[in-house]
Amino acid sequence: MFDRDIWQEIYHSISNNKLRTFLTGFSVGWGIFILVLLLASVKGMQNGFTLQFSDDATNSIFVRTGTTSLAYGGFEAGRRIQMTNDDIEYIKRSFPNDVEYISPRVYQNTSARYKSETGSYNIQAVYPDHQAIEKTIVNKGRFINANDLINASKVAVIGRKVEEDLFKNEDAIGKFVEFNGLPFRVIGTFTDDGDDNAERNIYAPTSTYQKMYGQTDHIDQIALTYNPNYDLTEALAFSDRLENVFRRRFKIAPQDQAGIRIFNYAEVFEDISNFTGGLDIAVIIVGLLILLSGIVGIGNIMVFIIKERTKEIGVRKALGAEPWSIIKLVLFESVFITALSGFIGLGIATGLLAAIGPSIKTGAFANPSVSMSMVVTATIILVVAGVLAGLIPAMKAARVKPIVALSDK
Amino acid sequence: MIQIKDLHKSYKMGKNSLHVLKGINFNVEEGELVAIMGSSGSGKSTLLNILGMLDSSDSGEYILDNVPIKDLNETKAARYRNKFLGFVFQSFNLINYKSAAENVALPLYYQKVPRKERQEKALKYLEQVGLKEWAGHLPSELSGGQKQRVAIARALAAEPKVLLADEPTGALDSKTSYEVMDLIQKINDAGNTILIVTHEPDIADMCKRIVHLKDGVIIEDKKIEQVRAEQYV
Repeated sequence: MFDRDIWQEIYHSISNNKLRTFLTGFSVGWGIFILVLLLASVKGMQNGFTLQFSDDATNSIFVRTGTTSLAYGGFEAGRRIQMTNDDIEYIKRSFPNDVEYISPRVYQNTSARYKSETGSYNIQAVYPDHQAIEKTIVNKGRFINANDLINASKVAVIGRKVEEDLFKNEDAIGKFVEFNGLPFRVIGTFTDDGDDNAERNIYAPTSTYQKMYGQTDHIDQIALTYNPNYDLTEALAFSDRLENVFRRRFKIAPQDQAGIRIFNYAEVFEDISNFTGGLDIAVIIVGLLILLSGIVGIGNIMVFIIKERTKEIGVRKALGAEPWSIIKLVLFESVFITALSGFIGLGIATGLLAAIGPSIKTGAFANPSVSMSMVVTATIILVVAGVLAGLIPAMKAARVKPIVALSDK
Repeated sequence: MIQIKDLHKSYKMGKNSLHVLKGINFNVEEGELVAIMGSSGSGKSTLLNILGMLDSSDSGEYILDNVPIKDLNETKAARYRNKFLGFVFQSFNLINYKSAAENVALPLYYQKVPRKERQEKALKYLEQVGLKEWAGHLPSELSGGQKQRVAIARALAAEPKVLLADEPTGALDSKTSYEVMDLIQKINDAGNTILIVTHEPDIADMCKRIVHLKDGVIIEDKKIEQVRAEQYV
């Protein structure tokens, strides 16, 4: 099929119409160039979004409760829903395969003092698992461990900013700091990539705070991460199941948004991927339209070439060329021009992205790039485009009557 | 070799119908050299088109080498043309970007002959028409007579049953015309069946038989004493 004669024909046809071939090829190359750059930009936006959210574990779910707004299950509206330690155990028991890490959060404002320095901070009383959920980076000492929890130790892991404010140039590890007048030993400090505010947090064991403040087992929030192997659909299905179980457990009306709120990062990602998916489609449509003008251009040049070569085609047919061999000739030439110019456009675009892409990183836009699958898709599009561009001219060529070879007008 | 019975052909020109061939009957035996003569509008070109399977008849029979030629689609017609017929045209119709040898090899390409064998055969036929040294030249580097000889080599390359020549000397001066006719006569001497459409009496006299067409019918069909072109070369 790809014998030398066909290449010779293509070579001849192209070299006889260099400028015209270049101009039409350029439009296809340009179309692919734009398409790739646009798609890479969307990818850049996607990367930017992901980067912004990657501070927290992206497979995390947060459960908060509030006050019911609807009467349900024999209860009046306005009932306060309070979660307890039991709910943590209940989730662990109910979803052994879904839950990866789980931790309660008890919030407390505190005024902290070390020597003469004071400050007001938020304390989150948590389980050891919380480190993995929040991706807390402990840069000195250690995080809260299981023993701290069992013994309800008065220990604290403080943010880098807290250490800076209270301890100035001293090393905080092992020192005692007063929270609302009670001494806590600093066992670790942490940093956070996300923002400085996170570094003004203080972590302490849940049990310590529950004992200190009225021997309760109340918790304000549950933070958990689910099985990291879950895809978006599975993640959303899991949070739906979790929500149903909690609504039944606390007798909250299914449509009551105030009683319980389950926040799943997957939902945000779903929104983002819906958004960028929409952009993708818009970009593909725009790109294809640009490409279409290139295809029409190539179709145009092919029609002219056929017109010029009508007599030659007639002679070939008189010599025994079957219609298919004529169609093949035109289609190959069309595919060749389209593919070659398309690849040049593709090459320049990917080269450009490889060169400058990694250095682009601003806000919601990072590392615009093209995937291998996109390159393959673009290649397929090019070949299809070439066939489309050549189809009408090829059929025109196949219809040439061999009689024209005999008429010497 | 060729049997034609009661061949009719008319062209529709708007509401009118132009009856071009009004019942042609003739046979050609193997090894004949036939001149088809007639003024323009006599139907000789239409007859040649039908013989060449470039056009179809309205009614009548056409049998070529015992194969009835009818109901041809494009692909089948192309195959039959390739297998049975060699064409020589008035304006040579060589492909201008292919060398002489490549032009000669073209029908073999459509016969799917392997490339190496094509080249060998092309050289063999170019040698037969005396142009072996010109094998690598483009048509634009050849004289009119040389071009026509390349075209004849091309027609011979497919080893057809019948050679159809449409005014083969129409674009040549008389000296070159005789050279080409000399070649055609020699090919005929080797046993090939050849039909030549011409309106030049001296060319027709160099054939072995003259069929005279007028207004769509054969008015004369005679065997003649062949004038050898050699003596004029």
